[in-house]
Amino acid sequence: MKVFMFHLMPWAYLPSTYEGPAWVKCPNSFYDGRRGHELYNRYIDELIHAEALGFDGVCVNEHHANAYGNMPSPNLIASILARQTRRVRIAVVGNALPLYNPPTRVAEEFAMIDVISGGRLIAGMVVGGGPEYYSNGLNPAEARGRFYEAVDLILRCWSEPGPFAHTGRHYRIRYVNPWPTPLQKPHPPIWIPGAGSYETMDYVARRRWAYMGIPYFHKRVFKKNFDYFREACAKEGYAAAPEQMGWLVPVYVADTDARARAEFEPHLWHFAHRLLPGINISPPGYTSARSALKVLSAFGDFMLNVTSWGEIVDGAYAIVGSPTTVRERMVELAQWLGVGNVLVLLQLATLPADLTRRNMELFAQEVLPALRRLGPGASAEGAAAHA
Amino acid sequence: MPERRTVEVGGKRVRLLVGGHGPALLYLHGVGPDVDWIEAHERLAARFTVHLPAHPGFAESTGIEEVDGILDYVLHYVDLLGALGLAAAPVVGTSLGGWIAAELAALYPERVAKLVLVDAVGLWIDAVPLGELFGSSPPELARLLFHDQQHPIARMMNAITSLGQVPEELALEQMKAMEAAARVGWNPYLHDPKLEGRLPRVTAPTLVLWGRQDGLAPLAYGERWRDRIPGARLEVIEACGHLPPVERPEAFAAAVLSFLAS
Repeated sequence: MKVFMFHLMPWAYLPSTYEGPAWVKCPNSFYDGRRGHELYNRYIDELIHAEALGFDGVCVNEHHANAYGNMPSPNLIASILARQTRRVRIAVVGNALPLYNPPTRVAEEFAMIDVISGGRLIAGMVVGGGPEYYSNGLNPAEARGRFYEAVDLILRCWSEPGPFAHTGRHYRIRYVNPWPTPLQKPHPPIWIPGAGSYETMDYVARRRWAYMGIPYFHKRVFKKNFDYFREACAKEGYAAAPEQMGWLVPVYVADTDARARAEFEPHLWHFAHRLLPGINISPPGYTSARSALKVLSAFGDFMLNVTSWGEIVDGAYAIVGSPTTVRERMVELAQWLGVGNVLVLLQLATLPADLTRRNMELFAQEVLPALRRLGPGASAEGAAAHA
Repeated sequence: MPERRTVEVGGKRVRLLVGGHGPALLYLHGVGPDVDWIEAHERLAARFTVHLPAHPGFAESTGIEEVDGILDYVLHYVDLLGALGLAAAPVVGTSLGGWIAAELAALYPERVAKLVLVDAVGLWIDAVPLGELFGSSPPELARLLFHDQQHPIARMMNAITSLGQVPEELALEQMKAMEAAARVGWNPYLHDPKLEGRLPRVTAPTLVLWGRQDGLAPLAYGERWRDRIPGARLEVIEACGHLPPVERPEAFAAAVLSFLAS
């Protein structure tokens, strides 16, 4: 089992009087560069500290025009991490490929990060969240077509000597010849995040890459999606490896269950009810209508709509408690889900620096070793009691 | 009741409803309920043989995969007129259908005998942006589209707080329609920046028909069509939003029939 620390780099200072969405239309007059300077540097320090604490890797991702996560360019943060760390994997999950035109830009920047870091990049590629299509002008009906073509073009950049010509439906480049190319051969590992659309899971299974389940859903949604993914791999004629699946979840550890809840709960509700609203907007044509309905139907099981602490605990929307509680719960859930990667959000919303630091340290000392001992193949048969 | 036909055009299958008596009339629907045969069509059918095709991607019409701009729709209708054996016909277009009709009349003036634009999108006025079709909740849309919030469809939309409440077949139908509209109208948003400059090419006698309280395409757009299309006349329907054939079918049909008879 590999354990990664994920950071969203949220904006921690939405005015308490603001009740609108945190996405697309959230006024950027709320942004303040002085506070932003402190937050960015603090958040980057937290990710760098994860290496000293023994994590296998760190994760960043891409979102635009929102207060939920301030990394419109995760590659900028990843390039800092490439230089400031020595050992950890750097997972960019991912670049929203349709927003890069031409997408050879992603092949170039990912190769730079891979080369600078000495071959530690995990190359995440994503269609991009629904809100991005409202704030970037790109036609959502073209999202999948552009994504698939961009993935093929990037892989070709990394596997075929240049120059070559690319003549596709969305991109036409006469001389594709990116310098540099990645250090890892044939190319960095590829992770694809998804919220459960059939197309994405079938696609990742077919390409034999890794599928990262997008969080903030009830555990049964994760289970259903990973089961679907395993079936999709079986249909492709192979058994899914646990390393092909990643479970992303907010975690908070303190010395007792009561203290953990008392310290974490206000930040969790700030996250669920102030920073998530607006994330679920689904532009027309972004997925097939049938997949869109499936994802929408899962929104009853989405943290945005959860209002009681009991539901948070029962649904494993977040794992919160004493070291023993968190350790047992995470081992059990990782086995039940059958994943080989656990991605933990140890900073959420307004959680301040001191509590984040202590959370990271307690998690690293008390929980991480137990997860790692599970070995690469966490068992999907385990803990049937959850079903 | 109309006859339901399937017509093959350029590799696409078109669902075509045909009803009524008299000369042929081509009706190009919007993103709303007038893709189906409603009272407004029945009223037009008293004097005309109304042809109501569903655009590719709407209802049972196929071929949306080949459509990524308004010109694809325009050429599709040139082909459909050919397949129906119509050298020219009066064209009534509402909302998205009005945009297609205006493009058709500007690019192929000889195919459009008379033109009726009903709360048509297709132009852009910086000072009066078109309302948000793709990012609004059903209750927000109801306010943009309807003057009378007690209209049965407006009431239904106002009652929807989550898509889970909508029967799956209806939700799928609506999502397909929105996807098709997004393919031609996401960006530039529901307009063609070149169209306004081409409107002097229109030769068809033109009626611009507008709901006074249209919140999606405010009346300023009706005035702009009238000002740019040579000889066009603007008629306003009172107590009516973006969908005159749905909200005021009688007034809508009376205005269209009187114009076409003149």
